[in-house]
Amino acid sequence: MTVLLLFHFGAGLVAPLLVRWWGRQAFLALALVPAAGLGWALSRLPTALDGGEVRERFPWVTALELEVVLRLDALALVFAALVTGVGALVLVYCSRYVEPGDEDTGRLAGQLTAFAGAMLGLVLADDVFLLYVFWELTTVFSYLLIGGSGAKVAGRRAAGQALILTTAGGLAMLVGLIMLAQASGSTLLSEIVADPGSGAMVVTGTVLVLLGALTKSAMVPFHFWLPAAMQAPTPVSAYLHAAAMVKAGIYLVARLAPGLADVPGWRAVVLGVGVTTMLVGGYRALRQHDLKLLLAFGTVSQLGFVLTLVGAGSAAVGAAGLAMVLAHGLFKSTLFLSVGVIDHATGTRDMRELSGMGRRLPVVTAAAVLASASMAGLPPFIGFVGKEAAFTALWDGALPDRTAATVVLVGIVVGSVFTVAYTARFLWGAFARKPGLPDTAPADLEHEPGPLFLTAPVVLALVGLAGGLAASSLDPLVAAYAETLPQLLPEPEHLALWHGLTPALGLSALTLAAGVALFLARAPVQRLQRRVAVPASADTGYWNVLQGLDRTAVVVTGTTQRGSLPVYLGVILVTVLALPGGLLLARGSWPAEWRLWDNPLQAVTGALVLVAAVLAVRIHQRLAAAVVVGLTGYGLAVLFVLHGAPDLALTQVLIETVTLVAFVLVLRKLPLEIGGHAGPRVRWSRGAVAAGVGVFMGLASAVALAAREARPVSAEYSELAEEAHGKNIVNVTLVDIRAWDTFGELSVVLVAATGVASLVFLRGRAGAVAQAEPEERQRAPRGRRAPRRDWLAASSTLAPRRRSLVLEVVTRLLFHAILVLSVFLLFAGHNAPGGGFAGGLVAGLALVLRYLAGGRYELGAAAPVDPGVLLGLGLLLAGGTGVVGLALGAEVLETAYFEATVPVLGHVTLVTALFFDIGVYLVVVGLVLDVLRSLGAELDRQEEEGEDEDPAEAEVIAR
Amino acid sequence: MSPDALVGRGTRQLPVIAWLVLIWVLLWGSFSWANVLSGLVAAVVVTVAFPLPGVTEHARFRPLAVLSFLGFFLRDLAVSSVQVAWAAARPGPPVRSAVIVVELRTDSDLLLTLIAETLSLVPGSMVLDIDRMHRTMLVHVLPVTDEADVERQRADVLVVEERVVRAFGSSREIAALDGPDGPPAEAAADDAGRNR
Repeated sequence: MTVLLLFHFGAGLVAPLLVRWWGRQAFLALALVPAAGLGWALSRLPTALDGGEVRERFPWVTALELEVVLRLDALALVFAALVTGVGALVLVYCSRYVEPGDEDTGRLAGQLTAFAGAMLGLVLADDVFLLYVFWELTTVFSYLLIGGSGAKVAGRRAAGQALILTTAGGLAMLVGLIMLAQASGSTLLSEIVADPGSGAMVVTGTVLVLLGALTKSAMVPFHFWLPAAMQAPTPVSAYLHAAAMVKAGIYLVARLAPGLADVPGWRAVVLGVGVTTMLVGGYRALRQHDLKLLLAFGTVSQLGFVLTLVGAGSAAVGAAGLAMVLAHGLFKSTLFLSVGVIDHATGTRDMRELSGMGRRLPVVTAAAVLASASMAGLPPFIGFVGKEAAFTALWDGALPDRTAATVVLVGIVVGSVFTVAYTARFLWGAFARKPGLPDTAPADLEHEPGPLFLTAPVVLALVGLAGGLAASSLDPLVAAYAETLPQLLPEPEHLALWHGLTPALGLSALTLAAGVALFLARAPVQRLQRRVAVPASADTGYWNVLQGLDRTAVVVTGTTQRGSLPVYLGVILVTVLALPGGLLLARGSWPAEWRLWDNPLQAVTGALVLVAAVLAVRIHQRLAAAVVVGLTGYGLAVLFVLHGAPDLALTQVLIETVTLVAFVLVLRKLPLEIGGHAGPRVRWSRGAVAAGVGVFMGLASAVALAAREARPVSAEYSELAEEAHGKNIVNVTLVDIRAWDTFGELSVVLVAATGVASLVFLRGRAGAVAQAEPEERQRAPRGRRAPRRDWLAASSTLAPRRRSLVLEVVTRLLFHAILVLSVFLLFAGHNAPGGGFAGGLVAGLALVLRYLAGGRYELGAAAPVDPGVLLGLGLLLAGGTGVVGLALGAEVLETAYFEATVPVLGHVTLVTALFFDIGVYLVVVGLVLDVLRSLGAELDRQEEEGEDEDPAEAEVIAR
Repeated sequence: MSPDALVGRGTRQLPVIAWLVLIWVLLWGSFSWANVLSGLVAAVVVTVAFPLPGVTEHARFRPLAVLSFLGFFLRDLAVSSVQVAWAAARPGPPVRSAVIVVELRTDSDLLLTLIAETLSLVPGSMVLDIDRMHRTMLVHVLPVTDEADVERQRADVLVVEERVVRAFGSSREIAALDGPDGPPAEAAADDAGRNR
């Protein structure tokens, strides 16, 4: 079974490739995948008929005690056969539904195949968490398939709506499943059903699980997502929204009913919601003009019917339900596919425009008539068999409560009347020649449906007929499931085409007659429907809720996020002072001994940093303030050195420099002076908060250092570093011992860089920095200060007033040397101060120098790459190292080590951590380049071109 | 700089590559063939991946003159440090300084840059601006008390220029030190004596 599932997902992955190779014929190959699934399921039929099951079980995530447990019993087999069979036929249908030149074919093929796998997994899973995973997978695929390429607003809205509703239900279901698993002490569905336990936990869990099932199967009041989902291509509707995905809820209810039907509330919820849905869906279907919408509401109605049957918790009713599951899957997908053919041929699905199609498309018409007969419950179709069985069971009172049985029976009889009426309406609307309406489409149809296009509807319709004729041979399979349900009737009933002249037959005749009458009286009925229609619907309710949520979010954001940085920072800092600060004063265990410094130089440095900090508060010029703040950082680097941490100091100095450059690049766009709204009182209070936080941080670190009780983890780092063949503990920590942390930080850097770029690049997508065009190279006059000859690649494009002889010459002399230094730091880092981070920053500074000396075109010439490429490549390399380690049999990101003695070179060692470090290096260079490109080159460009920096609103939204 | 000029200039880059290999070996702190070879690889990769115009121009390297230049430079460094420190720390009114315009004789980007860097590295003198077209430098100097100091400082700048040119300049540049063909007359007249 696992192999089968993997087969589906693998096929889904390669599907786009197959489509590229073979075009739409690829669908035929893909159809073999679910077909294989069908073959396998049918080959297990004898086991299932004996009441046995096929099981597979192996560990998945051992740390979480998750297992893959799959099992195939009678119930699973029915659903699996439906899912795989209809899936294969729909894929065949797709091979003619899509046009050869369609763009999204590869995506559609992959998602449909993978969806088939997810759905198959759902019905096979025995572990509740595995079930949940597949459940949400089907939701995700449904979202993707409804939304399509995302080009249509209606498609996106419908996809989002279906996603939100089914995911909300799915989350409730997850909680419910956990509760049920807790109550029964097992995560296996089979064991939960066998012994669900009791108490409030079971009741709540059951209700939550039902909520998930009801949303998934589009039950009232969540039914409205299904008609909206008709935005999807017709094969998708036929498969997901008729045969497969919406059956997931039905399946779950059928699966749990044997164990949980007697839980208080189960029958009330299931029967109430089911019957209501059947009536609401049927009533709404009578009003639709779009054939697909008519079928969608019909599906809602039928799902209500099926849910009522499978959830009743009664052997006889459940057997009828399972038969109806098969029947509905067969006839509804046939009808959807027929509508697809009509739509394909004429370009419309509106029954007010269609006329005379019956004669034009005889094969489709025949298939649709067969399927409709099954839907309306005409003998000898499988739909008739299922409905007869349901009527019989309920007539005989196969519910614990006789009154309930009667009410439900009345409900489904009325619902069936609606069904007959909208079935007739569908056939009439799609195929009949209507008086006063010219025949649709020109004489020769746009697309004459070929045999492959017709295979799926015809086969499905014929299977529906065969299922009815062979009802008694279907009986053992259905009975194998029904036996697990409570037997509420004195003797079991059997599926059969002919039971004799029974009350149920009378009810069938009654529904048929009433339904036809309802159809014939369609004009007055519609007038009545229009008159009593209420303006509100569940759909508008949903949108109102969403809009309210949006509005609340805007209000909350608007009131709390005022856009004042001092206020934000103030709130954060005051909170720090109040909460951890208060705790420190109240509960802190003060060190017994205070040592002010180890080295008098520390005191001197500290004093300098203090002076810089005070100056930073007092200085009014932005640029000077930034420099002074930078001084505090350099002071910190000195402290690191004094503490014997050259590596940290190196990194700190480099970071401080890069930060200063970024500050300067941004500050040149801002007014020179810091805005002076704040009076002295405000300034003093800000100073007090700042000083308070500083003092708190100092005290907190002192207390934290003194409070150590456990042995520090770092004690073993020197040994661990040796194990990783490095002498620089800091570097080994970064690239080996805590490589996962570094990897996470790299990802954060990547996100931050992208964020910065997206703030600055208002127009167009970012790429590499632009290079100078030939004419631009000659444009600028030299001016007095420029060097006589070219020292850099593109500095001649700079404005004369920005040129500097010394800067250009020195940049030329030092640029390569700085790069060599950065490469040295990268390679030396494992054993000496340095590493990919420091090396990358140094290389970044070399680029900074080029930009400062030669302007934006110089930057473009120095680094003609997209920073995004560097960032991505770096992350890929770092991640790839981890995977390679895994492939070599080590842990993820564990260092491997090679050494050899080479002539001339001597002893050479290679540590795989180096590649991780190169990844770090690339990410850091990419980050600096991204900052230069955005805050430097792009701002220059906007200034030079006098560009309006507020793009049109539409553009913002489009991005 | 056209792209054509950036390629096919292998031999002119040789000094640069040698310089980079030297830096590499010094960084590693020990001489070995492995270090030299890897340095060569690093240098070639860096220069090929990031092409820039050649550096050498018509510069020369005269070992004796370079040694002399370095010696004087170190001496100036020490002497000026003490002078400036004293001027800053001594009691009395603040030190007076001046911005002087110095007209140079050399006409090479590289040499002018070296002169400017040398002056700026020595405490007490700082190059504020270079007019490449007129070969003049705007130098901030201290301490300055009277006109005689100004002239003395100006002469000092010219002495530095001479040392740099004799160490690194071509023979034509050295000849220009003594030659009469100085900067255009009107520029010299404009700028001469502009100090405060």
